[in-house]
Amino acid sequence: MIAFEALEVRYGATVALRGLTLSLEPGIIGLLGPNGSGKSTLLKTLLGLLQPAAGRGEVLGVPLGAPESARLRARIGYMPEYDALIEDTSAYDQVVFWGELSGLSQAQARDRAHEVLYFVGLDEARYRNVSGYSTGMRQRVKLAQALVHSPELVFLDEPTNGLDPDGRKRMLDLVQKVRAELGTSVVLASHLLQDVERVADQLVILDKGEVKAAGSMAGLRRMLARRYELRFLDPLGPALEAELAELGTVLEARNGLYDLECVASDPAAAFAWAQARGVVLVQLTPRHDRLDEVLIRALKPALGPA
Amino acid sequence: MPIYAPTLPPRPEPGQGLPPAVVMLRFDLARVLRLKLGKFFGFLFVFILLVLCVQLYVKHLVNTSAGLSTFKPFADQLLSQGPEFQARLLHPVMLQVLWLQVALVGGGLVARDTLHRIRPLIYAHPVRPWDYLLAKALFAAGLPLAIMLAYVFLPWGLSLAVAGAAGPVWPTAPLLLVPAALVIALLMGAVTLGASSLAASPKAGFGWALGILLGSSALGGVLAAALHDHRWLVLGAGYLTKLWPDLLLGANRDSGPGWVPVVLATALHLVLWTVIAVRRTRPSEASL
Repeated sequence: MIAFEALEVRYGATVALRGLTLSLEPGIIGLLGPNGSGKSTLLKTLLGLLQPAAGRGEVLGVPLGAPESARLRARIGYMPEYDALIEDTSAYDQVVFWGELSGLSQAQARDRAHEVLYFVGLDEARYRNVSGYSTGMRQRVKLAQALVHSPELVFLDEPTNGLDPDGRKRMLDLVQKVRAELGTSVVLASHLLQDVERVADQLVILDKGEVKAAGSMAGLRRMLARRYELRFLDPLGPALEAELAELGTVLEARNGLYDLECVASDPAAAFAWAQARGVVLVQLTPRHDRLDEVLIRALKPALGPA
Repeated sequence: MPIYAPTLPPRPEPGQGLPPAVVMLRFDLARVLRLKLGKFFGFLFVFILLVLCVQLYVKHLVNTSAGLSTFKPFADQLLSQGPEFQARLLHPVMLQVLWLQVALVGGGLVARDTLHRIRPLIYAHPVRPWDYLLAKALFAAGLPLAIMLAYVFLPWGLSLAVAGAAGPVWPTAPLLLVPAALVIALLMGAVTLGASSLAASPKAGFGWALGILLGSSALGGVLAAALHDHRWLVLGAGYLTKLWPDLLLGANRDSGPGWVPVVLATALHLVLWTVIAVRRTRPSEASL
């Protein structure tokens, strides 16, 4: 669906995206990274708003920068991070306008505007000027304009920005509904881990314009499932600590506690290892890590020592 | 708690709509019609148009009524029927008011999109940069053109209706006045579009448009005084708009700067402000 190779995007002398190579399948893709990591730049590049300085890529089978990229945008929806609303106009008029701009006839755009505003829960308020809308309603207008032409792929840039917990939940429910009911693939750019963790089935972690980690959420969860915390009766000596590498990667060691990512998914191997070396393993706790730990690990070199 | 629709109906066939430039033009027109500015300028334009029509009718009466024949020498002096009279159908006062209106309305055309950051979203749709610029240019030039055409055709029609071909307005006057109106409209459109693209808000766009109008006149005045050559005055965009009807109808030939400076200055303004608008509305500019 989306693929790019050695993609580089610059703002003048500043490199915003550096050597990005990635292939993404249809579904809900979480694009995660701190502010300024290049998420919005990547979305704008995929939309053809920015031209790559180097590398190549394609979206829905159309190469980036190709002459037909303007027509490609009729198959894509985009919900920007910032307001981008026409203040002196009603939500309905705006959504009709964006629908027509996506290639729908006026009659189609009018029908779709009613339907899509109903879909996002703005049925009652659709004839009011958006200047009187709450943040949550404004976000939903932006989502409605991105969906009005039923795109195959929709880019959502920080869709939960400024929303209260209830608004966030509703927005994320809508994102899932878009994928489940409309069959539209979603690229969700966010710096909020919980949002991505809740809805995404693929994840890309960006930092300073580089891909730090990428993969399916299921794969990441499998990786997380192999993480255990081990405690031994007596502290291990340096020699035994080095031998722990046989079990897997030691992520952290402190006060006799070892945070371990096991090579094997069977934790019984840890008991066998301890028995073979005559040490007593008194505690083996599965780590129910969240995505934020993956993110922190992925970004660790960039963040520096803790 | 809102009640959500169970789902959306199937995807419609795309590519059945109007060209993007027409969609944007129509949307901008609807937005401007909702502004309160329309009533104020509408009153001014109708008032000026009425004065012109009264002039025509008085002229006709003086020419045809025996009772008013004593006023004929005075009326001939006041209401000349030569090329100057024809050229004044695009009256300088009306052109000043039109500049003000175009600066107010046109100044916000691009600037409003910049303020609300609409342009990146527009370019995220199947819209090419020239579609966007074409829509804005059509609006910026189309609005003054529509108003000026009323000033050409209403007096012309009135003159034909009351006095036929012998009326105060030449039957062939629109053939020269319409091209003059077209050039003026393009000039106004280019200046306001350039001004609007430089601004970050509609008010700033109005300021830029007025600044360009007054600044170019001041520059022309300074150069004309410094170089002792009044032809430099054509650098003023406002002055240029007054010159075009004269030039095409052959009025004030002795006092005017002539074709070459007017054409060159008009081309300079058109190219300069269009290039600025093109550069300032590029997608990369919009997404920064």
